[in-house]
Amino acid sequence: MSRLLLALALAASAAVAEAAAPPPVTRHVLPNGLTVVVREDVTLGVMAAALHVRAGSLFETADTAGITNFLQRVMLRGTQRYTALGLTEAIDDLGGSLDAAGDVEYGDVHGTALARNWEPMLRLVAEVALRPTLPAEEIERERRLILSAIQTRGDTPFQRAFDSVLNDLYGPHPYSWPSVGRRESVERTSREMLREHYTSIYRADRMVLAVSGNVPAARVMRVAERLFRDLPAPPAAARVSPAGATPRGGRRLVERPVQQAQVLVGYLGPALLEPDYAAARVLGTVLGGGMSGRLFRELREQRGLAYSVGMLGSFRTGRSFLVSYLGTAPPNAEAAEAGMLAEIERMRGEPVTEGELARAKAYLLGNLAMDRRTSTRHAWYMAFFEVIGAGWDFPERYARAVEAVTPADIARVAQRYLTRPTVIVLQPPRSAPR
Amino acid sequence: MSLLARIGLALVLMLVWGGCGLARSGARAPAPVAGPARYLLPNGVPVIIEEHRASDVVALQLWVQAGARDETASELGLAHYLEHMLFKGTPTRPVGFVEREVEGVGGRINAGTSWDYTFYHTVLPARQAEAGIAMLVDVGVNASLEASLLEAEKQVVLEEMRLNEDNPRRFLVRELFSSAFEGHPYGRPVIGTSEVITGLTRETLVSFYQRHYMPEMFALVVVGAVQPEEILRVARATLGALPRGGTKRLPTTPPPPPRRARLERSRPTAQAHLGLAWQAPRLDHADTPALDLLMSILGRSKASRLVASLRERQGLVSAITSGLSALEGAGLVTIAAQLEPQNLERAEAEVLAEIRRVRDGGVTTAELKRAITAAEVEHEFSMETAEGRARAYGQAETIWRLEEELLYLDRVRSVNAAQVQAVARRYLNLERYVRVALLPQRP
Repeated sequence: MSRLLLALALAASAAVAEAAAPPPVTRHVLPNGLTVVVREDVTLGVMAAALHVRAGSLFETADTAGITNFLQRVMLRGTQRYTALGLTEAIDDLGGSLDAAGDVEYGDVHGTALARNWEPMLRLVAEVALRPTLPAEEIERERRLILSAIQTRGDTPFQRAFDSVLNDLYGPHPYSWPSVGRRESVERTSREMLREHYTSIYRADRMVLAVSGNVPAARVMRVAERLFRDLPAPPAAARVSPAGATPRGGRRLVERPVQQAQVLVGYLGPALLEPDYAAARVLGTVLGGGMSGRLFRELREQRGLAYSVGMLGSFRTGRSFLVSYLGTAPPNAEAAEAGMLAEIERMRGEPVTEGELARAKAYLLGNLAMDRRTSTRHAWYMAFFEVIGAGWDFPERYARAVEAVTPADIARVAQRYLTRPTVIVLQPPRSAPR
Repeated sequence: MSLLARIGLALVLMLVWGGCGLARSGARAPAPVAGPARYLLPNGVPVIIEEHRASDVVALQLWVQAGARDETASELGLAHYLEHMLFKGTPTRPVGFVEREVEGVGGRINAGTSWDYTFYHTVLPARQAEAGIAMLVDVGVNASLEASLLEAEKQVVLEEMRLNEDNPRRFLVRELFSSAFEGHPYGRPVIGTSEVITGLTRETLVSFYQRHYMPEMFALVVVGAVQPEEILRVARATLGALPRGGTKRLPTTPPPPPRRARLERSRPTAQAHLGLAWQAPRLDHADTPALDLLMSILGRSKASRLVASLRERQGLVSAITSGLSALEGAGLVTIAAQLEPQNLERAEAEVLAEIRRVRDGGVTTAELKRAITAAEVEHEFSMETAEGRARAYGQAETIWRLEEELLYLDRVRSVNAAQVQAVARRYLNLERYVRVALLPQRP
């Protein structure tokens, strides 16, 4: 309680110091190779930590799909010091949260706590990361939950359609399956496979710890060094580099008994560190960003074809995706698909105006800024960009690249990337009673 | 997070922990942060302002005391429809203002409708605060509601209905509310019915607008990197200059007596869903803090009783959560689970067994302490952003009282174990509850 008040008092003093400089970020590589990034923000009463390890779908195969996620989930289910229940109680006692999952480019253990509890929270993160016991019965319990989660994805129309479009878009590339894995691969993942996977990825050189919030940076560094000292730092293994994805295009119908049809059109874009990346994201925003994106204005405002409509982009070290989506009444699906493709085609033909471009940039940068305002999101951003090799300060460089995009850049990336659409239409079976 | 927090979109529901107030614990605090200040403009409209400099943005929110519960039987869905139409411009602010004034400067705007209120929320760069207030006020009272745009928006709202239909969790919650509050405004879907929406005329909507969007129904909330005096000056010149309409909102209808009901619905999904609901007291009731903590102990965290028993120990469900929706006129406790269809009966029996255990044996000191800590933490995190703070204040001002909101965390801290047991006995009847099962129906 006293810490809560302290936090409030600090917030008050920060309010006085008007236009304060952004909170300082410290980056340090420990002797064993673990990178630690700390953002010290004294205006808050809370803190968040994210430990990212370079792993995830990108490093998996059709047979091992979901293994990083499976491993991360089971790591929360028992360590040398805690049982699964003991760990959740220890977290609750700190007023914190602790979770772990596998994603496309990384696996993570992340937690939050009241700022005063930053040290015990980091201790729990280290305990989970360094000393998981992977108990056999907990593996089975988690397997059931993951299989159920896979089923739930299939039961959610948009999710189902989105998984389908990525699958068709990426083909044999590992980005084509969801990070939660496939039913077949999750069913056959053994304890031995999980242990081997753990040993191969939990190495200091492929991990990043990011901490954000009201924490003392210098002490965090010292504590992290002590907590993670035992992390192995073997010589760097050869990096996996899956074959590059190439757009093939195509159209597929997925039949489900739904009230609303889902129409998705996907394209492969440039990788995050390629020069075209910022322009491709601005292009996606011109088309599908917010209420002023072309898809919203044309397909929703003008034609009333949808409630939800827009475009999704992605941070990927391999080829990114641009996926436009829309939900509509089944009889309108055909018109919606044609309308969406026409808007995309128009991007290739007509140049954007300066005004439209300025609006899209402001929207995209506004999104980025708004998403980076909580400790949890700051910790995620720093850990993610550091672990994929772009550097924790990538968002700043990306923002500058977005600002520099010209109409000519948009025309060039539209020509280059908006080709060979991959289309998924999820709709009720024709014969089904409606 | 509780189940209801995920409803989102149009069906914004009041959640006690969706954002509760700032802890201004008088005795313990050596004058902490300034906190929100509440002013009344000359025409009686409240304005709440808080200087918050965590980032260079301002959250502006216009709260309106008009929601689905204010609709007559022939107006179902109009509060929400109006919310959509307010984005279609005013005589001096044609369609496209969102692009020009909000998204074009890096801001965001959206709105939500509940049974008790409608609110319009925007986050802008702090230097845009003055323009943003003028925009919200103009949209609030001068909406054109142009007939052709009104017609076109019908398709959009019908699509929103279809989207809700396809989402099993949203469907489950709606069924629980409609059964628990049968015949009461809280039993109606906020989004309305397709019949009313399809047949909607401009006259009907204009009439609803003119009756409910009066200055005395508004509250303005401003939180961000702003000078309060400056904001107050702008508020006076815009919102404060509007003439009062002379209307008074009708009080909430008393809820129907709690009932027992058992419903089954087929859904085209692979997994089954189970929902149980009990009527709970209204938001301003003295039992709300204890009931809120009880929900936390039962099913809000990984170590909570329902999760530990049904999900972890017995493997009966893949997810289970409990929540409290505390509305202005009544409340609803909901427990929702996702599971294999063959486990439906056992899961229901085990939920009841856990409730019986609380009713008979109460909760432990450790559980209570954890639940209180969780409440403090959730509060801290919800107050990290300007819009999180603005939302808590606006909601309290509209359907509660700001000072109650600011004291809420202290109330939660003072709850004892006996009170938690007492509310379990008072509200969680082992027989009189609504049960909805969604059963997979394979095509």
